[in-house]
Amino acid sequence: MARLGWYQRVAEPSSVYSGRPMASIPQTRLRDFSIIAHVDHGKSTLADRFLELTHAIDARQMTSQVLDSMDLEREKGITIKARAVRLAYVAADGLTYGLNLIDTPGHVDFSYEVSRSLQACEGAVLVIDAAQGIEAQTLANVHLALAQGLVIVPVINKIDLPSAQPDLVLEELENVLAIPRDEVILVSAKEGTNVEQVLEAVVQRVPAPGGDPAAPLQGLIFDSHYDVYKGVVAYVRIASGRLHEHESIRVMASGAEVEILELGVFRPQPSPVGELGPGEVGYVATGLKSVRDCQVGDTLTSAARPAASPLPGYEPAKPLVFAGIYPLRGEDYGELREALDKLHLNDASISFQAESSVALGFGFRCGFLGLLHMEIIQERLEREFALDLIASAPSVAYRVTLANGRGEIDVDNPSRLPEPNDREVIAEPWVRASIITPSQYIGTLIELATNSRGTFEGMEYLDVQRVLLTFQVPLAEMIVDFYDQLKSRSQGYASLDYEAIGYRPGELVKLDVLVAGEPVDALSLIVHRDRAAAAGRSLVEKLKQLIPRQMFEVPIQAAVGSHVIARETIRAMRKNVLAKCYGGDITRKRKLLEKQREGKQRMKRVGSVEIPQEAFLAVLRSGEAS
Amino acid sequence: MDHLPAALMPPPVALYIHVPFCISICPYCDFVVYAGREARGERSRLTAFLAALHVELDLRADLLAAQNAGQPRPPLRSVYLGGGTPSLLSAPQVTDLLDHVARRYGLAADAEVTIEVNPGPADRGDLRGYRAAGVGRVSIGVQSLQASELRTLGRRHSAADVAATVDLARAAAFDSVSIDLLYDIPGQTLETWSATLHMALGLAVDHVSAYALALDDPAAEGLTGILGDHRPVRAGARAWRDRVRPGQDEDRAAEMYELASDRLEGAGLAGYELSNWARAGHEGRHNLVYWQREPYAGLGPGAHAFDGAGRRTWTAASLADYLGVLTPAHRVAASLPVGGGELIDDSTAVAEAAILGLRLRQGIPVELARHPGVSAGLAWGMSHGLLERVVTRVRLTPRGRLLADEVFARLLPAGATASRREAAA
Repeated sequence: MARLGWYQRVAEPSSVYSGRPMASIPQTRLRDFSIIAHVDHGKSTLADRFLELTHAIDARQMTSQVLDSMDLEREKGITIKARAVRLAYVAADGLTYGLNLIDTPGHVDFSYEVSRSLQACEGAVLVIDAAQGIEAQTLANVHLALAQGLVIVPVINKIDLPSAQPDLVLEELENVLAIPRDEVILVSAKEGTNVEQVLEAVVQRVPAPGGDPAAPLQGLIFDSHYDVYKGVVAYVRIASGRLHEHESIRVMASGAEVEILELGVFRPQPSPVGELGPGEVGYVATGLKSVRDCQVGDTLTSAARPAASPLPGYEPAKPLVFAGIYPLRGEDYGELREALDKLHLNDASISFQAESSVALGFGFRCGFLGLLHMEIIQERLEREFALDLIASAPSVAYRVTLANGRGEIDVDNPSRLPEPNDREVIAEPWVRASIITPSQYIGTLIELATNSRGTFEGMEYLDVQRVLLTFQVPLAEMIVDFYDQLKSRSQGYASLDYEAIGYRPGELVKLDVLVAGEPVDALSLIVHRDRAAAAGRSLVEKLKQLIPRQMFEVPIQAAVGSHVIARETIRAMRKNVLAKCYGGDITRKRKLLEKQREGKQRMKRVGSVEIPQEAFLAVLRSGEAS
Repeated sequence: MDHLPAALMPPPVALYIHVPFCISICPYCDFVVYAGREARGERSRLTAFLAALHVELDLRADLLAAQNAGQPRPPLRSVYLGGGTPSLLSAPQVTDLLDHVARRYGLAADAEVTIEVNPGPADRGDLRGYRAAGVGRVSIGVQSLQASELRTLGRRHSAADVAATVDLARAAAFDSVSIDLLYDIPGQTLETWSATLHMALGLAVDHVSAYALALDDPAAEGLTGILGDHRPVRAGARAWRDRVRPGQDEDRAAEMYELASDRLEGAGLAGYELSNWARAGHEGRHNLVYWQREPYAGLGPGAHAFDGAGRRTWTAASLADYLGVLTPAHRVAASLPVGGGELIDDSTAVAEAAILGLRLRQGIPVELARHPGVSAGLAWGMSHGLLERVVTRVRLTPRGRLLADEVFARLLPAGATASRREAAA
């Protein structure tokens, strides 16, 4: 079953909070804010401290990092889905403020989710690690927040660390983001030092949300998840008007109308409330069975008194990385479809459509926001739905101009690339990569970018030690092992962010792998012409090791069009006979033959060649196909 | 599946007796063997084993008589003393054993009685005495005639020991002398193999078995459990196998097989079975019983038996358990040792008949080849040049003999896998 949100996480729902209604907090004392931070800079720990300080949850119930409720998030120490939680904070002025904290993911793949969360806020707490300083991702998210006019509350975290260099980080903040030193709060979320000052700053610096409570209802759906009992649960922020429990609502773009099953806020456990007014953030259980009827970015309004127009919504997330995902056992195909449907309800940024492959059978072409996203989805499918999966090599979407003025198509599966005669230009997506690194790694990182067909764009010193490098790089190069190489070349110190900058025509070719003259669709690649020979050689060499000898000689070729660029030959099998059969032990021998027969039954057939599926898997898993 | 009532089961035509002792254990050997002090000297369990073996013989013969309801049954056509090293037995011990067999099972006047002997002076036994006891055939565990290969295999004998043993066998007037050879030994070359074959032919033996060295792991095949017919491979032997396995080579082994086949056939030894060559009239009749799916009995730890229809059984490998139940403490009745077994369903039986029959040069009759259970697999073999039809029989081609398992695997029914898969799902 799909996850239900954080319902399962918190031991005793609502008991700690029952005596403190918040519906009475006036709009002027509401503050809607996010936390933006790089992975591991301590955002989740800081959020935990906020929950403790506001008694949303007491220390006894505290499981570390309450907001990261998926198992995977805790294991990987990153936040994947944005969260919203309401805190009641008694400020220094003696008044109770309603703080709506919208958690955001910190990884490069999820900047789309960050931008969505930021649109539901007036302020953002910016968390920087006192030992690590500004990272590429932080910079990108701060720019996002500033572009949306958010007030930034800068925080330097982990000042308790022996390696903390808050002075250097203060200098970076001043140099790079023009943040004055006196605005920055020095914090140790781990030890609780100065955390309360952060909440005070939120109260004092972040403006209260606007919005006319008397106007027709407009609520922005900024996230959603699917609950088997409550249907689609939409996370909304009210922009104007009031939303009441049991009210009949209309989802403006989809036109769906339903009576609300439950209206509530997260404290962090879901707690029903009677109404939500402007600036308030909560959840609406709609009972809708399809997330398509209640898309993120759509506007909720009252069915009885609808708003004249919806709020400006979001662009739908654009997948950047594509891969075929196949069940290891063909009979699991139906289950995989169901699992993807369910995951899609919680993560609208996944796209998938059915495809089939000779080598891998029936599966789905899936689109992801990035490689980490792909890895997370694959792991969630395997873990939450108990599926064994294999993914083909990740690819980007190529934009192909067809011959004879027949327009353009996007090709996200190399085996679907039109034949050379049917196409004129193949363009590939490029990104601007921003890398922040200690200056001693500049040389090796420029080399990395150049090897990845990148072009140098600029270099800027953040302080005496660290620089911001920018390159333009084809996305296809980024998704191979750019990130791993970046980390290994910089001993883990460099950080990366990237943004799409459009398509550019490239010298791209389709590399086919042929086994005994038959193309193996799952192994086709689109590569730069200069890379084709090396990629082809590596593939055929690997296959030669992995394909067992057959009754006849089997050539393995890598070809671009009709031009063979690499070839290996698997010689015909010479000997397969168990000679010994001693003392009448026929049983052992027959069992060994039965094992051979089972192996043969699991083979995939490419033409007349029998190939164990493990061979394909090994090639695909080796991940260095291009 | 229809099973004949036990009383109507055909009685065994052959008897295998396993003697599970060797003076030392060779690291490539999978058979049930106890070595060192258990095999020789004061604390040897050989005498205790023989006592238990005689008890087992009686118990199994009683059982057979009961099943047969006292009807007369034909005497055994073959007795095979295998091991281990049965030549660790003295001539009187062998005499007692064969007398007992003849008393309880019956032994045809022209029965083939084989004993395996080691070529080494310490364990080649009393050949003259065995001959006098009624043993007519001797099978010598030569393995190689190259000193370095014998060293690799952990064998203690020399080529000269082999020659001496063959001379002794001839002097003792055995009807038939056979040797076992191994190929695909790490370090072996086509040249050394050729030299071994040349020397072997110089010994003028009647029968040669040539087996490819197989370095498997019985534990991985699930054969070493409490009821299993194998002992776990010791750590040292396992390490040795892992170390030398990369020295094996499929192509070289194929060439060695072809070379052996050419040489032996050229010297007048016909390859009547995949791994066995013999002068006319010297084919091993005991092994033919296995290939032709005739019923056979087995005695000793790890021994196998087959009822000729649908049941294969074996005795567990543990010598302690074997001795414990057959020769129990005072006033406790002896009982048969534990072991395992399997029921062969009809489609597997057809596949077995085809697989075992195809091991023989004569192949199988077309009537069997047309059986729907095996016809598709055989057609595949024909189309790949691994099988040929000769008048009314289907047999392996020379290439097919090297790739026999490719054919055999395709003859087995899909049932077992299907049910296993259901269980997994």
